[in-house]
Amino acid sequence: MKGNSLNEERREEKISLKGEERAGRVSLVAAAFALAAMPLLGQVPKPTSPSSAPSTPASGNAQPSNIDLTLTGATSARRPLAIPVTIAPLSPELQTKAVDPFYTTLSDDLAGSGVFVVADPALYPKGMRPPKSREEGDAWKATSAQFLVDTRLSPDGGNVIVEALLWDLGTLKSIMGKTYTGETRAARRIAHTLASDLVRQFTGRPGPFLTKIAFSSDRDRVAGKAVVKEIYTMDFDGENERRVTYSHTLSLAPDWSPDGKSLVYQSYEKDTPGLWLVGKDGTDKRPIPVPTQLNASPSFSPDGKTVAFCGSVKGNTEIFTVQMDGSKLRRLTENVAIDSTPRWSPNGRELAFTSNRQGTPQIFMMDLEGANVRRVSLAGNWNDEASFSPDGGRLAFACRNEGDFQICVMDLASGRTVQISSGPGAHEGPTWSPDGSKIAWEVQRGDSTQIAVGSADGSGTARIVTSSGNNFSPSWVKTLE
Amino acid sequence: MKQSLKIGSLTLAIVAFAVACSCSSKPKAAPAPAPTPAPVSTPTVVTTEPAPAPTPVPTPNVEKGELTGSLSEVSSYLKPAFFDYDKADVRSDARDVLAANAAWLKKYLSVRFTIEGHADERGTAQYNLALGDRRANAAKDYLVSLGVDASRIKTVSYGKERPFATGHDEDSWQKNRRAHFVVTAK
Repeated sequence: MKGNSLNEERREEKISLKGEERAGRVSLVAAAFALAAMPLLGQVPKPTSPSSAPSTPASGNAQPSNIDLTLTGATSARRPLAIPVTIAPLSPELQTKAVDPFYTTLSDDLAGSGVFVVADPALYPKGMRPPKSREEGDAWKATSAQFLVDTRLSPDGGNVIVEALLWDLGTLKSIMGKTYTGETRAARRIAHTLASDLVRQFTGRPGPFLTKIAFSSDRDRVAGKAVVKEIYTMDFDGENERRVTYSHTLSLAPDWSPDGKSLVYQSYEKDTPGLWLVGKDGTDKRPIPVPTQLNASPSFSPDGKTVAFCGSVKGNTEIFTVQMDGSKLRRLTENVAIDSTPRWSPNGRELAFTSNRQGTPQIFMMDLEGANVRRVSLAGNWNDEASFSPDGGRLAFACRNEGDFQICVMDLASGRTVQISSGPGAHEGPTWSPDGSKIAWEVQRGDSTQIAVGSADGSGTARIVTSSGNNFSPSWVKTLE
Repeated sequence: MKQSLKIGSLTLAIVAFAVACSCSSKPKAAPAPAPTPAPVSTPTVVTTEPAPAPTPVPTPNVEKGELTGSLSEVSSYLKPAFFDYDKADVRSDARDVLAANAAWLKKYLSVRFTIEGHADERGTAQYNLALGDRRANAAKDYLVSLGVDASRIKTVSYGKERPFATGHDEDSWQKNRRAHFVVTAK
C-alpha cells in the first residue's frame, strides 16, 4: 500500500483508544489519507431520525388507539457497500486470530448500522482493488455496491496493521483512508473502530460500535441453590463479557453513570435489598444508605449527582430521589397505587415511571417536584420499563395488549407508537444506544432469557448477543466514547 | 375481577385493599350492590394500615411450645398465602391460611420470621418487585391485624427473581404468586 498514489496528501493522526480491553492495550495509529473528505453530510438522513416518513399519518393529534406495526426502516436511504476481505496471503494463525474476527465484526457492524447495506460477497469480482478504471468500477457496482471498503491486513510482530480505503465507485475516488495498528488479539476492536469511522464519514457522528452494555446474569448460580445474579458488562455485540460484582446474592437492574465510569444497581447484600454503586471494573463498591425498603430500579440523573429509585414505605412503593451519600432523600409520588421503575429524562427535568393508579400498569411522567403528573402510554393493558432516547424525543418501553410483552417506541411529540420487536417470547427492559440508533432489551423464550440488540426503528433483525446462563436488564452506556 | 380493570381509575386499588377488611368471600368487584354491611372504610385510610381484622381469630393459644428441628423445618409450619394475578389483596383462601399461621405464631412467641413476596413471570421484573413488596406487606398487615406483633416480622420482595415453580403455565404461576414464610429465629 505504501508507495502508491495515496501517500501524497497523507495526514498523520493518532487515535488513542481506551486500552481497557481484555485483549490488551490497543494503540492505534491512524494515517488519514483524507484525499477528499467528501462533504457527504446532509445527503444521508441520519439513522437516528427514522420516523421522518410515517407511513400512516397520525391523523392530527388524535390519541393513538392502537399500536402501529408498520416498520419504518428507510432502507432506500442506506448506502450499499462492498467489504471484500484482504488479499494479502496470511498465516493460518493470523487468519484465525485476526482476519476472521476482523471481517465478521466489520460486516456485522456495518450491516446493522442502519447506514449501510452490505452487498453480497458472493458477487464480488476478483481483484480490481483498488478499481483503476471505469470498467473495474462498474464490475464492483454490478454487485449493487456504490462504495468499496478496501482493506488490507498485515502482520507486524505481535501487531496487526489494517489499511483501509473507502472508494466511491461512482467517481472512482478514495474518500477516506486510515491505517490502524493494534495487537493481533485486538482485531475486533480495530474493526469496531473502522466501522465507527465509516459511519461518521456519512453521518457526521461515530457509530455505537465501541460502546458497552451492563446487565444482570444468573450464570454464577450454583445448581440446587437459590438463584443469584451478578452484574456484568460486555461489548454491545455480546463479546468481551466481564463480571463486575461478586455479591453471591441477587444483584439487579444496573444503570450506567453518565460518564460511563460506574454503575448503580439493586442488590440483596445485607439481606434487605438496597442501592449500590460500583466502578465498572468492580472497584469502589459502596451502598447508598436509604431508610426505605425494596430500593429497586435505580436510575442516574443526567448530571450524575442523584439517583431516582422505587422505594417502599409500609408496603407502598413510591418514587424517590437521593444523592450518592444518602442525603437529600425526596419522595416524589404519593399514591396508594404501585409506583415503580423511574427513568430520568435526558434533560434532567422529568422522570418517567410506571404506575397502576388508573387500573393497569401504565407509563406516566412527572417533573422533579412530583408535579405535572401525566399519563403517557395510552394503548395496551400493560406498559412498563420506560427508557428515554438520548435526545429525549422518544420513549422505548415494554408494551403489551394481549400475549407477551413486546418493545414499543413512542414519539413523544406525536404520540405515534411503533412496535420494534416481534416474535415469540416476553420482550422487556429496553435501553438505547448512546447515538439513538439501536435498542437492547431482554427476551424470555421458555426457560431462557437473553439480551437482544436491534435497530431503534425496528428495521432489520434483532440479534441475540448473550448465551451464558440467563441474562437480564441491559443498560447501554450513555456516552459514545 | 377482569372487568374492574376496564373501569380504570382508583376503583381497582380500592377493591384491592377492601378485601383486607371484611367481605367473607372473594369480592366480585364492580356491580355488587354491597350486600354486606361494613361499608369498607374510606379508601384513603386503607393505604398504609389496612383496616383491622374482621373476625377476632381463634382462641389465643397461650401455652408455650418448644420447637424442635431446623429453621427450614420450622418454617414449613407456616403456609404460604397465594394471590391473584397482578393483585396484592388477601384472598379468602389466604385469609384462612394466615389465620392458621397467626394462631401458630401466637403459640410460639419467640419465633421471628420474614415474609417474602413473590410474583409470577408474566409481569416485568421491576414492576414485580414492587408487587412482591406489596404482597409481603399485605400478608404482614393481615397477621398484625390478627394480633401478631409487628416487631417479629420482616418483609422482603423477590418479585419474579426466585420462583418456586419454573413452569410456564397457570399452575406454576399460581404457585409463584405468594407470600412465603421463612422463620429466622425460633
